[in-house]
Formats: sequence, structure tokens, C-alpha cells
Amino acid sequence: MKNNIRVERAIKNITQADLAEQVGVSRQTINTIESNKYVPSTVLALKIARVFGKPLEDVFMLEDED
Amino acid sequence: MKSRFLFPYWCRYLGWALVVLHVPLSIIGRARGMVNIMDGPGSTGLFNGEHLFFICTSLLMVSGLFLVAFAKEKIEDEQIWQLRLDSLRWAIFINYLILIISLVFIEDVGHMLQLNLFVPLLFFVIRFRWVIYRLNRSLSREV
Repeated sequence: MKNNIRVERAIKNITQADLAEQVGVSRQTINTIESNKYVPSTVLALKIARVFGKPLEDVFMLEDED
Repeated sequence: MKSRFLFPYWCRYLGWALVVLHVPLSIIGRARGMVNIMDGPGSTGLFNGEHLFFICTSLLMVSGLFLVAFAKEKIEDEQIWQLRLDSLRWAIFINYLILIISLVFIEDVGHMLQLNLFVPLLFFVIRFRWVIYRLNRSLSREV
């Protein structure tokens, strides 16, 4: 699974720490999600999408090998 | 994410304090000729000298490690939860591997209990701190 959290953050002009605080996780978690090392739970993914005000599939998308 | 069955964050420091405290206590005890009741046939009976020595050393160490292992992180989120479960799985795995090997090759059951008392907690704490350290290091490299 890949995501464009980094792009969405840049559009909204917020840091990893800001996003982490808004969804209630640590900055490390946002960082590992952005670098595709950690796959978030559905709840967390929905929370992140809500922060950006976009549907889930605009932020997270499946890759071919998934 | 709700994290139930975990001690508050400060319990981690209390736990380390207990682990550290057990060292001078056991040195003093051994210097005065005390024997840990798990190390061999000592005198029996509750709350005699050697039983108290056992409480002050082994139990202090185990409860210290227990508090350290199951205290919350500062931010206990789902990734920490996953790392915690993963480390726990490894700890149980290693523990039973050692247990099975020693069941076959070692006859001293007393020491096996002692092994079983410390290996899962110790391995869990080391593995868990190691993955968190790695996580933080990868973070500082990217920012």
C-alpha cells in the first residue's frame, strides 16, 4: 500500500508532528507510514484522511503486489 | 487506541529502580552467607531469613522487570502496540525453545524455574527497547 500523506501535508502546510497530534499518534508512526514501513489500521487511516478532508482512497492506494 | 492492562508511564522508572536495588541487596545477602532458596536445599519455612532473602532479590528483580516490560510508552499508539506484541511473541518463542532444550539436556529443575522466571521478561524488554531505538534512529535520520 502506498500513500501521499507527504503531498497532502505539503498542500495543507502542516508538519508530521502536527498531523500526529491531530490523529493522536506519535510522530514516529506518521513518519513510518509516510515511508511505507508501517501500514496503519483502518481507524487511523480514516482519521488521517479526515484531517485532509479527502476520501480515504485519495490518500491511501493499493499497489499491484497487494 | 485504548491500551488496557498496562501500567502508567512512571512505573517504568519504578521498575528500573527495583532492578537496580536488587543488586546491592543480593551482594550484601550473599556476603552474609545467605543462599537463594532456588539455588539449592536451604532451610524451609515462610519468612525465615532465606525466604526473605529470596523475596528481596529474585522477586524484586522479577517485579522490577515486570513493571518495566508492561509500563506504557509516552505515546502508546498502534505501532507501539504492534511492536509490543511482536516482541512478546519472540520472547515466548525463545523462552519455550530454551525450555524445551533444557528439558532434554538439563536435570536441574530448580534452575529451570529460575530461567523461566527471567528469560521471557528480559528478552521482551531488550527486544522491545531495541526496536524502539531503531525506530527513533530512522526518524532522526530522515528529518
